[in-house]
This record gives sequence, structure tokens and C-alpha cells, in this order.
Amino acid sequence: MASVAEKIENLKVEFDEKRILRLIGYKAKSMELKDPVKKLIDEEKQKLDHLLHPVSIYTILDYEETNKHPIFSDAEKVALCICTIGLELEEEIKELMSENEMLRALILDSLGSEATEEVAVQSDRILAEKARETGLWPSKRFSPGYGKWDIREQRYVFSVLPGESIGVRLTESCMMIPRKSVSFRINFYKDKKLSTRKK
Amino acid sequence: MSKEDTLVRMEKAIIEGNKQETETLAKEALGQKMDLLEVIEKGYARGIQMVGDLWERGEYFLPELITSAECMKAAMSILQPELEKAQIQTQSRGKVVIGTVEGDIHDIGKNLVASMLAANGFDVIDLGADVKLETFVEKAEEKNADFICLSALLTTTMLGQKRVIEILKEKNLRKRIKVLVGGAPVNQKWADDIGADGYGENAMKAVKVVQNISKG
Repeated sequence: MASVAEKIENLKVEFDEKRILRLIGYKAKSMELKDPVKKLIDEEKQKLDHLLHPVSIYTILDYEETNKHPIFSDAEKVALCICTIGLELEEEIKELMSENEMLRALILDSLGSEATEEVAVQSDRILAEKARETGLWPSKRFSPGYGKWDIREQRYVFSVLPGESIGVRLTESCMMIPRKSVSFRINFYKDKKLSTRKK
Repeated sequence: MSKEDTLVRMEKAIIEGNKQETETLAKEALGQKMDLLEVIEKGYARGIQMVGDLWERGEYFLPELITSAECMKAAMSILQPELEKAQIQTQSRGKVVIGTVEGDIHDIGKNLVASMLAANGFDVIDLGADVKLETFVEKAEEKNADFICLSALLTTTMLGQKRVIEILKEKNLRKRIKVLVGGAPVNQKWADDIGADGYGENAMKAVKVVQNISKG
């Protein structure tokens, strides 16, 4: 029987300040942040409450139900997931760029990237827990375009999951829109040794 | 205040990223009928030069560079209409056609490079994102550009950078038009493999590469 897709909502996104600073171009030793950049970061952060719409959609398939890509071999089950923070933040970035507010745009873009990653991290944790609940061992999370999983496998992910139900679509070049979206897989193994995951 | 004092304040406003002061000084320059080319070259452009030096010394980072480029743009938007009215040509360091390649709508990195090139005196023609590969070549030919800067953020779309170089070769334009590539999956090896003239690891490095090539 084919598995159904389920949504993960009500995710709360928190930020690691140092990562944001690295994303906007500061090096580790320059972490002493001063105005006006500090003030801009605080102001852009305040917009996030209404700009972020974090949501994920996932499904867990038996190996036999997958397209049997070599990357799934040895897995008992495969979890596929698409996460996004929605389109509104990108529209605000576009607006800022058109107003010659490039630094604000970069800050908001970085906050958006970090928020998207955070949604993926939290979704990943939930899915790993689901593996453990069924006595299986989860792999780390991998996205199309990394390692031996070609970016074109995005098409497979979107054939299995209704991305549009969380507002995410795939372009011909396998890019996700909104750009602040992440897709990934986790293999669930019977054999603990096959799982490289620590927690 | 003497002219020299005003020029120094302009330079300082750019270095400090003070947009309000930059704009106020640009308006004062117009009011006092200062030589606008001098205002740009000996005031604001010196500030931009200094910001680049501070970045090279590791004292400034991307946010400071962007803020200064925003200030330069703000000053130029006040000065440019007057320059055009008086039919005065600013000294261009070179003409650049820039865009994100077909199939790719990422544009923030490309926009940063475009704004920093403009702040550093380049004449920038920004074609936007998801630009047809042929359009880069057509525009560069039409505008007599010296550079084409190609941004790609996906492993699928970076192949477009290679194709633009091929189109330039087919049209016998490769020697005249230099090509710079950038974007997250791009690196120096890729630039070398496809025969690009340069690779911009980040926005300021992209500017430095273009400056070095244009100096010959």
C-alpha cells in the first residue's frame, strides 16, 4: 500500500547568531558586531514573525515502493521530505533590493537560509525518531545534488510528494520555488552498522 | 568649507557607510556648482578605493562593502541627472554585462557583484536572472561590452556558463569579451576547465578580478 504524505507544521525557528554573521560575510575573529550592521540585523529579525511560514511534508516508503535508486539500496524504508519557509520572505528581499537596501536584503536572505536549514534540521529529527520508533536505524539526511544522488532526482522526490500542497514547485532545472526550500531523504536501516548517524 | 574639506568628507562618508551624509554632500555639491567629475573621482571614488583596501587588509567585511556601495549608488543617483544634463561623461573603468543564467532565478549574489562593480566605476548592464544564454552575447555585442559576468547557483545551470563561452567563440567574440563566472557550485577549477577568464569567489574578489583584467 502506498504511504501517504503528512505535514509538519508549527515549527519554531531559532537562530544561531554566529552562523548569521558568517553567512553575511564576517570571519570568525570579527564577531564583535557594531552598529549600523547590528541594528540592521535586529530590525530585519523583527520582520521574521510575519515573513516566515515554516512547513514540511514527508512520506515514508518501503524500499519496494521507491524507484530503487542505488542510493536507497540496503534500506528497509526511505523517508522523503520537502521543507520550506514560504515565498513571503523572498518577496521582501526583492523589495529591499529594488530600494537599494542591499545589506538589509543580504541579512534577510541569510536569516531565510538559516531558517530553512532549521526547518530541515527539525524535520530530520522528527523523521529519525519515527525510524527509531519502528526499531530501525536512520541514516543522516541527504539532499538531491549531493554525493551520488543527482540533482535530477528532485523530480522523483516531487513525483512522490505533493510539493504544491505546501506551496513548493520544481522548475525544469530542478530548482525549488520558493528558493528557501530544502528536500532530503533519510534511509531507515535494519542493521545499525549501516547508519552513520550519531544522534 | 573649502572644496578640499568637502571632498574629504565625501570620502569619509563612503568609508563610514553614512548614506545620509553622502546624500547631503552630493546635494551641496550641486548647490555649490562644484566640478562633478572631481566630486566623483576625488571624493566618493577615493572612499570606495579605501573601502576596497580595508577589505584587503581584513579590516572590512562584506556588510561594510555593501553599505559603501549603497552610499555610492545614492550619491550617483543625485549626481547622474546633472551630469547627463550637462552632457558630461564619467570615466568608465569598463563595460560589464551581468546576469544569472537561464533556468536559475538566484539573484542576490549577482546583484551584489553588480552594485560593487558600479560603485567601483564600471558601467554595468544588469540583465537580471534567468537570462537566455544568447542574450548575454547579443547584449555584450550590442553595447560593446568588455566583460560578461555569469552567475549560476545550481549544478544544472552552471553548464550555461560553458555554453556562453562557446557562443562567444562561434561568433568570433571570445578574444574581445572577457568572461567571469561565479556562484555557489562554481570554483576556480570549473572556471579553468571551461576557459573563463576569471572566477569571483565572492563579490569583492569578483571586482578585483575584473579590475585586474581590465588593467591588463
